[in-house]
Amino acid sequence: MFRHIIRKEVIETLRDGRFRWGAALVGLLLVLSLAAGFAQRAEVERAHEQAQAMSWSQWLDQGDKNPHSAAHYGIYVFRPVSSLSLVDRGVDSYVGATTWLEAHYQNPFEHRAIQDTPALARFADLTAATTLQLLVPLLILLLAFATFSGERERGTLRQVLSLGVNPRDLAVGKALGVSLALALLLVPAAALGALALMVAGPGGGAVADEGLRYFLLLLTYSAYFGVIVLLAVAVSALAPSSRTALALLLCFWIVNGLLAPRVASDVARSQVELPSSLEFQETVQRDRSEGFGEFPSQQVRQERLADSVLNAHGVEELADLPFNFAGLSLQRSEEFGDLVFDRRFGDLADRVEAQLEVHRRIGFLAPHLAVRSLSMSLTGTDPAHHQRYAEAAEEHRRLIQLIMNTDIMENSRFGESYVAGPELWSEVPEFEYDGPEVSWALAGQGTAIAAILFWLVLGGLLVRVGTSVSARRV
Amino acid sequence: MLKAEALSKHYNGTPALSDLDLEVNPGDIYCLLGANGAGKSTTIRLFLNFISATSGRALVNGMEVSAEPLETKKYLAYIPEQVMLYPHLTGAENLEYFAALSGHDDYDRGRIEEFLTRSGLQKDAHHERVGTYSKGMRQKVGIAVALAKQAGALLLDEPTSGLDPEASNEFSLLLRQLRDDGVAILMATHDLFRAKEVGSRVGIMRRGVLRAELDPAELGHADLERIYLEHMHD
Repeated sequence: MFRHIIRKEVIETLRDGRFRWGAALVGLLLVLSLAAGFAQRAEVERAHEQAQAMSWSQWLDQGDKNPHSAAHYGIYVFRPVSSLSLVDRGVDSYVGATTWLEAHYQNPFEHRAIQDTPALARFADLTAATTLQLLVPLLILLLAFATFSGERERGTLRQVLSLGVNPRDLAVGKALGVSLALALLLVPAAALGALALMVAGPGGGAVADEGLRYFLLLLTYSAYFGVIVLLAVAVSALAPSSRTALALLLCFWIVNGLLAPRVASDVARSQVELPSSLEFQETVQRDRSEGFGEFPSQQVRQERLADSVLNAHGVEELADLPFNFAGLSLQRSEEFGDLVFDRRFGDLADRVEAQLEVHRRIGFLAPHLAVRSLSMSLTGTDPAHHQRYAEAAEEHRRLIQLIMNTDIMENSRFGESYVAGPELWSEVPEFEYDGPEVSWALAGQGTAIAAILFWLVLGGLLVRVGTSVSARRV
Repeated sequence: MLKAEALSKHYNGTPALSDLDLEVNPGDIYCLLGANGAGKSTTIRLFLNFISATSGRALVNGMEVSAEPLETKKYLAYIPEQVMLYPHLTGAENLEYFAALSGHDDYDRGRIEEFLTRSGLQKDAHHERVGTYSKGMRQKVGIAVALAKQAGALLLDEPTSGLDPEASNEFSLLLRQLRDDGVAILMATHDLFRAKEVGSRVGIMRRGVLRAELDPAELGHADLERIYLEHMHD
């Protein structure tokens, strides 16, 4: 019987001009946004690879100089672009693309794509994710708002129910019918996305498990569309008329898609405060020079270090030590800096993550937020993935400092003017990033997954309630 | 097959149907006559469990409809006054869909067309979209839906409204065939002539009360009209 209900719904939908036009428009937007995402990503990836390669060869060719000067010269690294970002760019445009690995400082990421975007173009940023998160649900609502109410108004519901059809079977059949009609549009789009991913290649190791991530991305959006279909069918059964059903569903769409993200940002900001960029820099600077907690100021630390080293070696002068104290002092200063950076940048990352968790929790009120979070995470374009890259880059910065300072300690004398050459620069390994596996990404998305499952169950229950109400109202 | 026992329906205290006792057996054509608001449609809607009775029982094949709403519908076929169909589907597709929902998903194309033809729908309209149909054509598809269900009881609510006299006559012939096949038929109608012609019994209703039950075979057409008018005016 389901077969017949589904078939009838699909035939009716396909013969309906509104669906044909709506689907053609959404399909076109999907293709365009995938193509735009593909082209944009390819260009950014090429630019990043070139720039990073250039910075690396400049490091190797910087000539003879003191290793600490070389450490200040530093290296620029550029975040690899996940190939999945052609579907969802997440916060990629808002977090910087590059950072400078230099002595003493963990630098924040610079060069945000959004800074290069003309003000008006910000509103025209069409990605496949926007189309999937906003426009496809709109199409579903327009497709399904009259599934029950329309039949009730037309009088066909009475005839169908007079045949002894269980209204719940009818609802399930209708939901499946709408889903199948939708699949005729979305399955080819998903195949096109897979093709674009294959052509785009692995994307510089930004993320691992790209195939699995794409599969889960399809699953996430399928679940989201399932939620919307169930809600539309339920509201259509519950509402007194098609007009009311459409009005209610459009209200839901506006709140879910447009209002909730704004409100969630405000709620997140009021619950978890983020320091301003300036405040943050000042705090880091103060911690480093004045110390924090049990750690005294820079000057006291240096004096204590000198005293303890002289004592340990039983000598009077720093110049009499068996190694260059300057190298040790630099390295200890680095290590103290690392403590400060771990503490402050760690705290900042925790706060950002806490804000995002607020967004995910609001996903229980507006499923769009849960889907958005999961989509960004699976495509490797959320703040967590960015943070993980930043940590890897910072590790590499610390490695450079260790190699340079060890060289000063071991190969030069205190107070001597010392230069090293290309052999030392090439002791530093080239920076390579291995992106996280999908399990790492999902570990932070428990709330979002729970919210989507919650909505699926809620949608199912509403359909149950709706069909029993509807059967009483013929 | 169809049985009402002291069946009553009140809307906010206003009676739409009062203490109806009625029985329609296989091979019966029971015609309910009466003006608008007499309770004819209410009776049919109670048998379909579209509304629930205030008191009394409606039984189909011995089962109470409010207790077994899905099971009892298996024995019923229903033709409303205005048959409503899916405009984007053809007549044949509409019939196929309704037949499948009533449990007959094994009809092939030939069988579907046979039902449509038997109901009087001209052949060249079978595969046209229903959006282009006249009211009479839609009504014929509704008749085909009822035929295709092959139910033991038929509930008809002004089924011939919108049919021209010829089609109406064909419909009467069809009803007689069904009666001979042992179908129990309950038909609400305004049409005294049709009731006299096909009915095996005629009930006259007014303001929710069944005022009289007559055997049309014992009456002339003029007698029926006279008795009907008497009940309408006292």
